[in-house]
Amino acid sequence: MSAEGVPTPNGVALRVRHLYVRARDRTILTDISIDIPDKEVTAVIGPSGCGKTTFIRSLNRMTETTQGLTVQGSVLYRGQEIYSPSVAPVLVRQRIGMVFQRPTVFPISVYENVAFGLRLEHQPEDRIEQEVQHSLVRAGVWEEVKNDLDRPALSLSGGQQQRICIARALAVRPRILLMDEPTASLDPVSTQRVEATLEELSQEISIVMVTHSIAQAARASTRTAYLYQGRLIEEGSTEELFERPKQKLTEEYVTGRFG
Amino acid sequence: MTAGAEGLGEEAPALTYASVSGRTRRRLIFDRFIPWLLPLAFVVVLFPLFDMIFWVAQKAVPTFTLATLTETQVGFGGGLYSMILGTLVLIAIGTAIATGIGMAAGFYTAEYAPRPVATFGRLAGNILAGVPAIVLGYFGYYLLVLYTNWGFTTLAGGIVLGIFMTPYVYRTTDLALTSVPPTQREAALAMGARPRQYLLRIAFPIALPTVLTGIFFAMALGLGEAAPIVYTAGWSSTPITGLMQPTSFLTGAIWLFYDLPPSEGTLLTLAFQAAFLLILIVLGLNVIVQLLSDRFRRRLQGLFE
Repeated sequence: MSAEGVPTPNGVALRVRHLYVRARDRTILTDISIDIPDKEVTAVIGPSGCGKTTFIRSLNRMTETTQGLTVQGSVLYRGQEIYSPSVAPVLVRQRIGMVFQRPTVFPISVYENVAFGLRLEHQPEDRIEQEVQHSLVRAGVWEEVKNDLDRPALSLSGGQQQRICIARALAVRPRILLMDEPTASLDPVSTQRVEATLEELSQEISIVMVTHSIAQAARASTRTAYLYQGRLIEEGSTEELFERPKQKLTEEYVTGRFG
Repeated sequence: MTAGAEGLGEEAPALTYASVSGRTRRRLIFDRFIPWLLPLAFVVVLFPLFDMIFWVAQKAVPTFTLATLTETQVGFGGGLYSMILGTLVLIAIGTAIATGIGMAAGFYTAEYAPRPVATFGRLAGNILAGVPAIVLGYFGYYLLVLYTNWGFTTLAGGIVLGIFMTPYVYRTTDLALTSVPPTQREAALAMGARPRQYLLRIAFPIALPTVLTGIFFAMALGLGEAAPIVYTAGWSSTPITGLMQPTSFLTGAIWLFYDLPPSEGTLLTLAFQAAFLLILIVLGLNVIVQLLSDRFRRRLQGLFE
Protein backbone atom coordinates (compact mmCIF):
# COMPACT_ATOMS: atom_id res chain seq x y z
CA MET A 1 0.00 0.00 0.00
CA SER A 2 1.77 3.14 -1.16
CA ALA A 3 0.36 5.75 1.08
CA GLU A 4 2.35 8.86 0.50
CA GLY A 5 0.04 11.79 0.22
CA VAL A 6 -3.03 9.84 1.20
CA PRO A 7 -4.90 12.31 3.36
CA THR A 8 -5.47 11.44 6.97
CA PRO A 9 -8.72 12.84 8.33
CA ASN A 10 -8.55 15.68 10.81
CA GLY A 11 -8.37 14.54 14.37
CA VAL A 12 -6.38 11.44 13.52
CA ALA A 13 -2.77 11.50 14.67
CA LEU A 14 -1.76 8.09 13.42
CA ARG A 15 -3.57 5.81 11.01
CA VAL A 16 -2.46 2.19 11.32
CA ARG A 17 -3.53 -0.22 8.59
CA HIS A 18 -2.97 -3.98 8.33
CA LEU A 19 0.09 -3.90 10.54
CA TYR A 20 1.95 -7.16 11.01
CA VAL A 21 5.07 -7.57 13.12
CA ARG A 22 6.93 -10.84 12.90
CA ALA A 23 9.84 -12.29 14.79
CA ARG A 24 11.90 -15.07 13.25
CA ASP A 25 9.67 -17.86 14.42
CA ARG A 26 6.29 -16.30 15.15
CA THR A 27 3.92 -13.47 14.40
CA ILE A 28 3.71 -10.95 17.23
CA LEU A 29 1.07 -8.63 15.78
CA THR A 30 -1.57 -9.67 13.28
CA ASP A 31 -3.47 -7.31 11.03
CA ILE A 32 -3.82 -4.32 13.31
CA SER A 33 -5.84 -1.41 11.95
CA ILE A 34 -6.64 1.52 14.19
CA ASP A 35 -6.86 5.31 14.13
CA ILE A 36 -5.05 7.01 16.98
CA PRO A 37 -6.96 10.23 17.65
CA ASP A 38 -5.27 13.58 18.01
CA LYS A 39 -5.06 15.22 21.44
CA GLU A 40 -6.37 12.31 23.41
CA VAL A 41 -4.89 9.66 25.65
CA THR A 42 -5.24 6.23 24.09
CA ALA A 43 -4.64 3.33 26.46
CA VAL A 44 -3.46 0.02 25.05
CA ILE A 45 -4.43 -2.83 27.36
CA GLY A 46 -4.19 -6.58 27.25
CA PRO A 47 -2.65 -9.51 29.07
CA SER A 48 1.14 -10.01 29.23
CA GLY A 49 2.65 -11.08 25.94
CA CYS A 50 -0.27 -9.79 23.86
CA GLY A 51 2.01 -7.48 21.87
CA LYS A 52 1.17 -4.13 23.51
CA THR A 53 4.78 -3.04 23.79
CA THR A 54 5.66 -4.22 20.30
CA PHE A 55 2.63 -2.33 19.02
CA ILE A 56 3.67 1.07 20.35
CA ARG A 57 7.29 0.43 19.41
CA SER A 58 6.14 -0.10 15.83
CA LEU A 59 4.58 3.36 15.83
CA ASN A 60 7.92 5.20 15.80
CA ARG A 61 10.06 2.53 14.21
CA MET A 62 11.73 1.52 17.46
CA THR A 63 11.01 -2.07 16.37
CA GLU A 64 14.01 -1.74 14.11
CA THR A 65 16.37 -1.42 17.05
CA THR A 66 15.47 -4.99 18.02
CA GLN A 67 17.18 -7.48 15.77
CA GLY A 68 15.05 -9.99 13.94
CA LEU A 69 11.74 -8.11 13.82
CA THR A 70 10.07 -7.39 10.49
CA VAL A 71 7.22 -4.98 10.05
CA GLN A 72 4.64 -5.10 7.31
CA GLY A 73 1.69 -2.80 6.77
CA SER A 74 1.17 0.90 6.99
CA VAL A 75 1.50 3.58 9.65
CA LEU A 76 0.50 7.01 8.45
CA TYR A 77 1.61 10.03 10.39
CA ARG A 78 -0.22 13.12 9.11
CA GLY A 79 -0.50 11.64 5.65
CA GLN A 80 3.07 10.32 5.51
CA GLU A 81 3.96 6.65 5.52
CA ILE A 82 6.58 6.30 8.25
CA TYR A 83 7.72 2.95 6.84
CA SER A 84 8.40 4.41 3.41
CA PRO A 85 12.03 3.76 2.37
CA SER A 86 12.57 7.49 1.92
CA VAL A 87 11.73 8.24 5.56
CA ALA A 88 14.57 8.56 8.10
CA PRO A 89 13.68 6.67 11.29
CA VAL A 90 15.67 9.21 13.30
CA LEU A 91 13.34 12.00 12.17
CA VAL A 92 10.27 9.90 12.88
CA ARG A 93 11.44 9.41 16.46
CA GLN A 94 11.96 13.12 16.94
CA ARG A 95 8.27 13.73 16.14
CA ILE A 96 6.92 10.62 17.81
CA GLY A 97 8.64 10.41 21.19
CA MET A 98 8.79 7.55 23.61
CA VAL A 99 8.94 7.04 27.37
CA PHE A 100 9.84 3.67 28.80
CA GLN A 101 8.68 1.46 31.60
CA ARG A 102 11.58 2.24 33.87
CA PRO A 103 13.10 5.71 34.07
CA THR A 104 16.01 5.89 31.65
CA VAL A 105 17.72 9.13 32.60
CA PHE A 106 21.24 9.53 31.29
CA PRO A 107 24.02 9.78 33.86
CA ILE A 108 24.32 13.54 33.38
CA SER A 109 22.68 16.54 35.02
CA VAL A 110 18.93 17.12 35.05
CA TYR A 111 19.42 20.07 32.71
CA GLU A 112 21.56 18.14 30.21
CA ASN A 113 19.10 15.26 30.22
CA VAL A 114 16.26 17.47 29.10
CA ALA A 115 18.55 19.34 26.70
CA PHE A 116 19.72 16.09 25.07
CA GLY A 117 17.40 16.09 22.07
CA LEU A 118 17.81 19.82 21.53
CA ARG A 119 21.58 19.47 21.47
CA LEU A 120 21.21 16.76 18.82
CA GLU A 121 19.43 19.41 16.75
CA HIS A 122 22.17 21.98 17.51
CA GLN A 123 19.72 24.49 18.98
CA PRO A 124 21.17 27.74 20.34
CA GLU A 125 21.82 27.81 24.08
CA ASP A 126 19.20 30.44 24.99
CA ARG A 127 16.52 28.46 23.20
CA ILE A 128 17.66 25.27 24.95
CA GLU A 129 17.40 27.00 28.31
CA GLN A 130 13.86 28.17 27.58
CA GLU A 131 12.79 24.81 26.28
CA VAL A 132 14.28 22.90 29.22
CA GLN A 133 12.32 24.97 31.69
CA HIS A 134 9.14 24.80 29.64
CA SER A 135 9.39 21.02 29.26
CA LEU A 136 10.01 20.50 32.97
CA VAL A 137 6.94 22.60 33.69
CA ARG A 138 4.85 20.59 31.22
CA ALA A 139 6.07 17.34 32.74
CA GLY A 140 4.96 18.60 36.14
CA VAL A 141 8.34 18.35 37.78
CA TRP A 142 9.70 21.91 37.53
CA GLU A 143 8.79 22.97 41.07
CA GLU A 144 10.62 19.96 42.47
CA VAL A 145 13.86 20.28 40.52
CA LYS A 146 14.19 23.96 39.63
CA ASN A 147 16.96 24.41 42.21
CA ASP A 148 18.68 21.15 41.31
CA LEU A 149 19.13 21.49 37.57
CA ASP A 150 22.86 20.81 37.84
CA ARG A 151 22.44 17.76 40.03
CA PRO A 152 22.96 14.33 38.46
CA ALA A 153 19.56 13.12 37.29
CA LEU A 154 20.34 9.70 38.76
CA SER A 155 20.25 11.18 42.26
CA LEU A 156 16.54 11.98 42.00
CA SER A 157 13.70 9.70 43.11
CA GLY A 158 12.21 7.21 40.64
CA GLY A 159 9.07 9.28 40.16
CA GLN A 160 11.08 12.42 39.49
CA GLN A 161 13.36 10.54 37.11
CA GLN A 162 10.37 9.32 35.13
CA ARG A 163 9.01 12.84 34.82
CA ILE A 164 12.48 14.03 33.76
CA CYS A 165 12.25 11.42 31.01
CA ILE A 166 8.86 12.77 30.01
CA ALA A 167 10.29 16.30 29.98
CA ARG A 168 13.21 15.08 27.88
CA ALA A 169 10.82 13.54 25.37
CA LEU A 170 8.69 16.70 25.33
CA ALA A 171 11.62 19.06 24.81
CA VAL A 172 11.88 18.20 21.11
CA ARG A 173 8.18 19.08 20.74
CA PRO A 174 6.84 15.72 19.58
CA ARG A 175 3.28 15.61 18.24
CA ILE A 176 2.79 12.17 19.67
CA LEU A 177 4.15 10.61 22.84
CA LEU A 178 4.30 6.82 23.18
CA MET A 179 4.51 5.54 26.73
CA ASP A 180 5.26 1.96 27.70
CA GLU A 181 3.80 1.43 31.16
CA PRO A 182 5.15 4.77 32.34
CA THR A 183 4.09 4.24 35.94
CA ALA A 184 4.92 0.55 36.31
CA SER A 185 7.92 1.25 38.52
CA LEU A 186 6.44 4.17 40.45
CA ASP A 187 4.70 4.52 43.79
CA PRO A 188 1.04 5.64 43.94
CA VAL A 189 1.85 9.31 44.59
CA SER A 190 4.23 9.54 41.64
CA THR A 191 1.74 7.60 39.53
CA GLN A 192 -0.90 10.17 40.31
CA ARG A 193 1.43 13.00 39.33
CA VAL A 194 2.31 11.36 36.03
CA GLU A 195 -1.35 10.75 35.27
CA ALA A 196 -2.16 14.38 35.98
CA THR A 197 0.68 15.33 33.66
CA LEU A 198 -0.77 13.13 30.92
CA GLU A 199 -4.16 14.74 31.18
CA GLU A 200 -2.66 18.18 30.76
CA LEU A 201 -0.41 17.12 27.90
CA SER A 202 -3.30 15.63 26.00
CA GLN A 203 -4.64 19.13 25.40
CA GLU A 204 -1.73 19.66 23.03
CA ILE A 205 -0.48 16.27 21.83
CA SER A 206 -1.63 12.70 21.41
CA ILE A 207 -0.55 10.10 23.88
CA VAL A 208 -0.54 6.36 23.41
CA MET A 209 0.01 4.57 26.69
CA VAL A 210 0.52 0.90 27.28
CA THR A 211 -0.71 -0.09 30.68
CA HIS A 212 -1.02 -3.25 32.70
CA SER A 213 -3.53 -1.68 34.97
CA ILE A 214 -7.13 -1.70 33.83
CA ALA A 215 -7.85 0.84 36.55
CA GLN A 216 -5.25 3.19 35.11
CA ALA A 217 -6.72 2.87 31.64
CA ALA A 218 -10.14 3.71 33.04
CA ARG A 219 -8.79 6.68 35.00
CA ALA A 220 -6.31 8.24 32.64
CA SER A 221 -7.43 7.56 29.07
CA THR A 222 -10.25 8.67 26.81
CA ARG A 223 -9.75 5.92 24.24
CA THR A 224 -8.84 2.31 24.86
CA ALA A 225 -7.62 -0.45 22.59
CA TYR A 226 -7.68 -4.06 23.75
CA LEU A 227 -5.09 -6.42 22.32
CA TYR A 228 -5.19 -10.15 22.78
CA GLN A 229 -2.71 -12.62 21.30
CA GLY A 230 -1.42 -10.08 18.82
CA ARG A 231 -4.81 -9.04 17.49
CA LEU A 232 -6.80 -5.91 18.11
CA ILE A 233 -9.99 -7.22 19.67
CA GLU A 234 -11.77 -3.97 20.28
CA GLU A 235 -11.16 -0.25 20.45
CA GLY A 236 -13.31 2.74 21.23
CA SER A 237 -13.99 5.34 23.85
CA THR A 238 -12.80 4.18 27.22
CA GLU A 239 -16.21 4.65 28.75
CA GLU A 240 -17.92 2.55 26.15
CA LEU A 241 -15.30 -0.18 26.13
CA PHE A 242 -15.49 -0.59 29.87
CA GLU A 243 -19.24 -0.27 30.27
CA ARG A 244 -20.60 -1.77 27.08
CA PRO A 245 -17.88 -3.94 25.56
CA LYS A 246 -18.91 -5.38 22.21
CA GLN A 247 -16.70 -8.44 22.40
CA LYS A 248 -16.92 -11.21 24.91
CA LEU A 249 -13.09 -11.32 25.22
CA THR A 250 -13.00 -7.64 26.09
CA GLU A 251 -15.69 -8.02 28.67
CA GLU A 252 -13.87 -10.88 30.35
CA TYR A 253 -10.67 -8.87 30.51
CA VAL A 254 -12.05 -5.55 31.73
CA THR A 255 -14.20 -7.20 34.35
CA GLY A 256 -11.11 -8.94 35.65
CA ARG A 257 -12.21 -12.46 34.87
CA PHE A 258 -8.82 -13.22 33.34
CA GLY A 259 -5.53 -11.51 32.50
CA MET B 1 15.90 -37.02 76.05
CA THR B 2 12.34 -36.53 77.12
CA ALA B 3 9.46 -34.27 76.25
CA GLY B 4 10.22 -30.61 75.50
CA ALA B 5 9.06 -27.70 77.58
CA GLU B 6 6.07 -27.28 75.28
CA GLY B 7 4.91 -30.63 76.42
CA LEU B 8 4.55 -31.94 72.88
CA GLY B 9 5.83 -35.28 73.94
CA GLU B 10 8.54 -35.23 71.25
CA GLU B 11 12.27 -35.48 71.56
CA ALA B 12 14.10 -32.17 72.03
CA PRO B 13 15.51 -30.98 68.68
CA ALA B 14 19.22 -31.66 68.11
CA LEU B 15 20.91 -28.26 68.23
CA THR B 16 24.29 -28.81 69.86
CA TYR B 17 27.53 -29.98 68.25
CA ALA B 18 27.48 -32.93 70.59
CA SER B 19 24.09 -34.04 69.40
CA VAL B 20 25.26 -34.79 65.85
CA SER B 21 28.02 -37.09 64.73
CA GLY B 22 30.07 -38.27 61.80
CA ARG B 23 30.22 -36.18 58.62
CA THR B 24 27.67 -33.66 59.74
CA ARG B 25 29.70 -32.87 62.83
CA ARG B 26 33.00 -32.68 60.95
CA ARG B 27 31.45 -30.31 58.44
CA LEU B 28 30.03 -28.10 61.13
CA ILE B 29 33.39 -27.86 62.83
CA PHE B 30 35.20 -27.22 59.55
CA ASP B 31 32.76 -24.40 58.75
CA ARG B 32 33.80 -22.67 61.94
CA PHE B 33 37.40 -22.62 60.78
CA ILE B 34 36.70 -21.09 57.37
CA PRO B 35 36.62 -17.50 58.63
CA TRP B 36 40.13 -18.11 60.00
CA LEU B 37 41.50 -19.93 56.96
CA LEU B 38 40.55 -17.22 54.49
CA PRO B 39 42.46 -14.41 56.22
CA LEU B 40 45.40 -16.80 56.48
CA ALA B 41 45.41 -17.22 52.69
CA PHE B 42 45.22 -13.46 52.42
CA VAL B 43 48.33 -13.08 54.55
CA VAL B 44 50.17 -15.78 52.60
CA VAL B 45 49.48 -13.83 49.42
CA LEU B 46 50.38 -10.43 50.82
CA PHE B 47 53.50 -11.42 52.73
CA PRO B 48 55.75 -11.93 49.67
CA LEU B 49 54.57 -8.61 48.24
CA PHE B 50 55.47 -6.63 51.34
CA ASP B 51 58.63 -8.65 51.83
CA MET B 52 59.72 -7.83 48.28
CA ILE B 53 58.92 -4.13 48.59
CA PHE B 54 60.78 -3.99 51.89
CA TRP B 55 63.77 -5.87 50.47
CA VAL B 56 64.00 -3.60 47.41
CA ALA B 57 63.48 -0.44 49.43
CA GLN B 58 66.14 -1.50 51.92
CA LYS B 59 68.74 -1.83 49.17
CA ALA B 60 67.63 1.19 47.15
CA VAL B 61 66.60 3.93 49.55
CA PRO B 62 69.88 4.59 51.47
CA THR B 63 71.69 5.59 48.29
CA PHE B 64 68.70 7.07 46.48
CA THR B 65 69.35 10.76 45.80
CA LEU B 66 68.31 13.34 43.27
CA ALA B 67 71.40 12.40 41.29
CA THR B 68 69.95 8.91 40.87
CA LEU B 69 67.23 10.48 38.78
CA THR B 70 69.24 13.11 36.93
CA GLU B 71 72.63 11.55 36.21
CA THR B 72 73.52 9.18 33.42
CA GLN B 73 75.14 5.89 34.23
CA VAL B 74 78.82 5.87 33.24
CA GLY B 75 80.90 2.77 33.88
CA PHE B 76 80.14 1.71 37.46
CA GLY B 77 78.71 5.04 38.56
CA GLY B 78 76.03 7.59 37.80
CA GLY B 79 72.26 7.38 37.93
CA LEU B 80 69.24 6.16 36.04
CA TYR B 81 68.57 9.20 33.85
CA SER B 82 68.94 7.52 30.45
CA MET B 83 66.81 4.56 31.58
CA ILE B 84 64.04 6.74 32.97
CA LEU B 85 64.01 8.74 29.75
CA GLY B 86 63.99 5.54 27.66
CA THR B 87 61.18 3.98 29.70
CA LEU B 88 59.07 7.15 29.45
CA VAL B 89 59.50 7.36 25.68
CA LEU B 90 58.80 3.62 25.22
CA ILE B 91 55.69 3.70 27.38
CA ALA B 92 54.49 6.87 25.62
CA ILE B 93 54.75 5.20 22.20
CA GLY B 94 53.20 2.01 23.57
CA THR B 95 50.31 3.85 25.23
CA ALA B 96 49.62 5.90 22.11
CA ILE B 97 49.44 2.76 19.97
CA ALA B 98 47.49 0.68 22.49
CA THR B 99 45.01 3.47 23.20
CA GLY B 100 44.40 4.24 19.55
CA ILE B 101 44.10 0.71 18.23
CA GLY B 102 42.67 -0.85 21.39
CA MET B 103 39.91 1.72 21.80
CA ALA B 104 38.99 1.76 18.11
CA ALA B 105 38.83 -2.04 18.03
CA GLY B 106 36.84 -2.07 21.28
CA PHE B 107 34.31 0.40 19.85
CA TYR B 108 33.98 -1.70 16.73
CA THR B 109 33.56 -4.95 18.61
CA ALA B 110 31.04 -3.62 21.09
CA GLU B 111 28.90 -1.51 18.79
CA TYR B 112 29.32 -2.31 15.12
CA ALA B 113 30.72 -5.79 14.54
CA PRO B 114 28.31 -8.59 13.55
CA ARG B 115 28.14 -11.13 16.33
CA PRO B 116 30.52 -13.77 14.86
CA VAL B 117 33.11 -11.09 14.15
CA ALA B 118 32.79 -9.73 17.68
CA THR B 119 33.17 -13.20 19.15
CA PHE B 120 36.24 -13.80 17.03
CA GLY B 121 37.68 -10.42 18.02
CA ARG B 122 37.22 -11.12 21.73
CA LEU B 123 38.84 -14.52 21.35
CA ALA B 124 41.76 -13.02 19.42
CA GLY B 125 42.15 -10.33 22.08
CA ASN B 126 42.33 -12.94 24.82
CA ILE B 127 44.88 -14.95 22.88
CA LEU B 128 47.02 -11.89 22.25
CA ALA B 129 46.86 -11.03 25.96
CA GLY B 130 48.02 -14.56 26.70
CA VAL B 131 50.98 -14.61 24.29
CA PRO B 132 54.17 -14.68 26.37
CA ALA B 133 55.92 -11.33 26.21
CA ILE B 134 59.13 -12.99 25.11
CA VAL B 135 57.35 -14.28 21.98
CA LEU B 136 56.28 -10.75 21.17
CA GLY B 137 59.87 -9.71 21.72
CA TYR B 138 61.14 -12.20 19.13
CA PHE B 139 58.32 -11.30 16.78
CA GLY B 140 59.37 -7.65 17.03
CA TYR B 141 63.00 -8.61 16.60
CA TYR B 142 62.38 -10.40 13.31
CA LEU B 143 59.88 -7.89 11.96
CA LEU B 144 61.10 -4.53 13.23
CA VAL B 145 64.80 -5.06 13.80
CA LEU B 146 65.90 -7.47 11.08
CA TYR B 147 63.28 -7.30 8.34
CA THR B 148 63.04 -3.52 8.28
CA ASN B 149 66.81 -3.14 8.60
CA TRP B 150 66.24 -0.59 11.37
CA GLY B 151 68.48 -2.36 13.81
CA PHE B 152 67.65 -1.89 17.49
CA THR B 153 65.49 1.22 17.85
CA THR B 154 63.37 2.91 20.49
CA LEU B 155 60.54 3.03 17.95
CA ALA B 156 60.58 -0.76 17.49
CA GLY B 157 60.57 -1.19 21.28
CA GLY B 158 57.64 1.19 21.62
CA ILE B 159 55.68 -0.56 18.87
CA VAL B 160 56.15 -4.01 20.41
CA LEU B 161 55.22 -2.61 23.81
CA GLY B 162 52.12 -1.16 22.16
CA ILE B 163 51.21 -4.57 20.74
CA PHE B 164 51.71 -6.02 24.21
CA MET B 165 49.43 -3.39 25.81
CA THR B 166 46.72 -3.26 23.12
CA PRO B 167 44.64 -6.31 24.19
CA TYR B 168 44.18 -4.89 27.69
CA VAL B 169 42.84 -1.59 26.37
CA TYR B 170 40.79 -3.45 23.77
CA ARG B 171 39.17 -5.78 26.27
CA THR B 172 38.31 -3.10 28.79
CA THR B 173 36.87 -0.80 26.11
CA ASP B 174 34.71 -3.61 24.76
CA LEU B 175 33.64 -4.69 28.24
CA ALA B 176 32.88 -1.14 29.33
CA LEU B 177 30.73 -0.42 26.29
CA THR B 178 28.85 -3.72 26.36
CA SER B 179 28.04 -3.27 30.04
CA VAL B 180 26.27 0.05 29.46
CA PRO B 181 22.63 -0.76 30.23
CA PRO B 182 20.74 -1.35 26.95
CA THR B 183 17.98 0.95 28.16
CA GLN B 184 20.37 3.86 27.68
CA ARG B 185 20.69 3.04 23.99
CA GLU B 186 16.93 2.62 23.65
CA ALA B 187 16.31 5.95 25.32
CA ALA B 188 18.85 7.75 23.16
CA LEU B 189 17.57 6.22 19.93
CA ALA B 190 13.99 6.99 20.93
CA MET B 191 15.06 10.64 21.23
CA GLY B 192 16.09 10.56 17.60
CA ALA B 193 19.80 10.15 18.28
CA ARG B 194 21.82 8.49 15.56
CA PRO B 195 23.89 5.47 16.69
CA ARG B 196 27.09 7.50 16.50
CA GLN B 197 25.58 10.26 18.62
CA TYR B 198 24.47 7.70 21.20
CA LEU B 199 27.96 6.26 21.24
CA LEU B 200 29.77 9.57 21.70
CA ARG B 201 27.34 11.39 23.97
CA ILE B 202 26.01 8.63 26.19
CA ALA B 203 27.85 5.33 25.97
CA PHE B 204 31.40 6.63 25.84
CA PRO B 205 31.12 8.95 28.87
CA ILE B 206 29.65 6.03 30.84
CA ALA B 207 32.41 3.70 29.67
CA LEU B 208 35.25 6.20 30.04
CA PRO B 209 36.26 5.46 33.64
CA THR B 210 36.56 1.75 32.87
CA VAL B 211 38.48 2.49 29.68
CA LEU B 212 40.86 4.78 31.59
CA THR B 213 41.33 2.05 34.18
CA GLY B 214 42.24 -0.32 31.36
CA ILE B 215 44.73 2.14 29.91
CA PHE B 216 46.45 2.74 33.26
CA PHE B 217 46.46 -0.98 33.94
CA ALA B 218 48.07 -1.62 30.55
CA MET B 219 50.65 1.08 31.31
CA ALA B 220 51.49 -0.50 34.64
CA LEU B 221 51.95 -3.87 32.95
CA GLY B 222 53.97 -2.37 30.11
CA LEU B 223 56.25 -0.53 32.51
CA GLY B 224 57.17 -3.77 34.20
CA GLU B 225 57.94 -5.69 31.01
CA ALA B 226 61.48 -6.32 29.83
CA ALA B 227 61.04 -9.15 27.33
CA PRO B 228 59.27 -7.27 24.51
CA ILE B 229 61.85 -4.47 24.48
CA VAL B 230 65.08 -6.25 25.23
CA TYR B 231 65.09 -7.71 21.71
CA THR B 232 63.82 -4.61 19.96
CA ALA B 233 65.04 -1.48 21.70
CA GLY B 234 68.51 -2.92 22.28
CA TRP B 235 70.55 -1.07 24.87
CA SER B 236 72.39 2.20 24.98
CA SER B 237 73.89 3.86 28.01
CA THR B 238 73.63 7.37 26.64
CA PRO B 239 70.32 9.22 26.81
CA ILE B 240 68.46 8.94 23.52
CA THR B 241 68.06 11.90 21.21
CA GLY B 242 65.90 10.21 18.56
CA LEU B 243 63.44 7.38 18.05
CA MET B 244 65.67 5.50 15.60
CA GLN B 245 68.35 4.84 18.21
CA PRO B 246 68.58 2.04 20.72
CA THR B 247 67.79 3.00 24.30
CA SER B 248 68.18 1.80 27.84
CA PHE B 249 65.16 1.33 30.11
CA LEU B 250 64.43 0.63 33.77
CA THR B 251 63.50 -3.04 33.51
CA GLY B 252 66.62 -3.55 31.38
CA ALA B 253 68.74 -2.14 34.17
CA ILE B 254 67.34 -4.70 36.60
CA TRP B 255 67.81 -7.52 34.13
CA LEU B 256 71.33 -6.53 33.05
CA PHE B 257 72.90 -5.26 36.24
CA TYR B 258 71.59 -7.78 38.74
CA ASP B 259 73.58 -10.70 37.39
CA LEU B 260 76.57 -8.91 35.93
CA PRO B 261 79.92 -10.25 37.21
CA PRO B 262 80.93 -7.23 39.31
CA SER B 263 77.45 -7.32 40.72
CA GLU B 264 78.33 -6.02 44.09
CA GLY B 265 78.81 -2.24 44.14
CA THR B 266 77.19 0.50 42.13
CA LEU B 267 75.58 -1.41 39.28
CA LEU B 268 73.75 -3.74 41.64
CA THR B 269 72.56 -0.72 43.57
CA LEU B 270 71.36 0.80 40.31
CA ALA B 271 69.35 -2.36 39.62
CA PHE B 272 67.64 -2.05 43.00
CA GLN B 273 67.03 1.64 42.50
CA ALA B 274 65.44 0.97 39.10
CA ALA B 275 63.22 -1.67 40.71
CA PHE B 276 62.30 0.70 43.51
CA LEU B 277 61.42 3.45 41.06
CA LEU B 278 59.24 1.07 38.99
CA ILE B 279 57.40 -0.05 42.12
CA LEU B 280 56.70 3.57 43.00
CA ILE B 281 55.41 4.37 39.51
CA VAL B 282 53.17 1.29 39.38
CA LEU B 283 51.89 2.08 42.86
CA GLY B 284 51.16 5.64 41.73
CA LEU B 285 49.27 4.40 38.67
CA ASN B 286 47.19 2.09 40.83
CA VAL B 287 46.33 4.90 43.21
CA ILE B 288 45.22 7.03 40.25
CA VAL B 289 43.07 4.17 38.94
CA GLN B 290 41.46 3.75 42.36
CA LEU B 291 40.72 7.45 42.78
CA LEU B 292 39.31 7.72 39.27
CA SER B 293 37.03 4.73 39.56
CA ASP B 294 35.78 5.85 43.00
CA ARG B 295 34.93 9.27 41.66
CA PHE B 296 33.19 7.95 38.56
CA ARG B 297 31.37 5.26 40.45
CA ARG B 298 29.77 7.91 42.61
CA ARG B 299 28.73 9.82 39.50
CA LEU B 300 27.16 6.73 37.91
CA GLN B 301 25.51 5.46 41.06
CA GLY B 302 22.09 4.00 40.32
CA LEU B 303 22.77 3.36 36.66
CA PHE B 304 23.87 -0.26 36.93
CA GLU B 305 21.11 -1.50 39.22
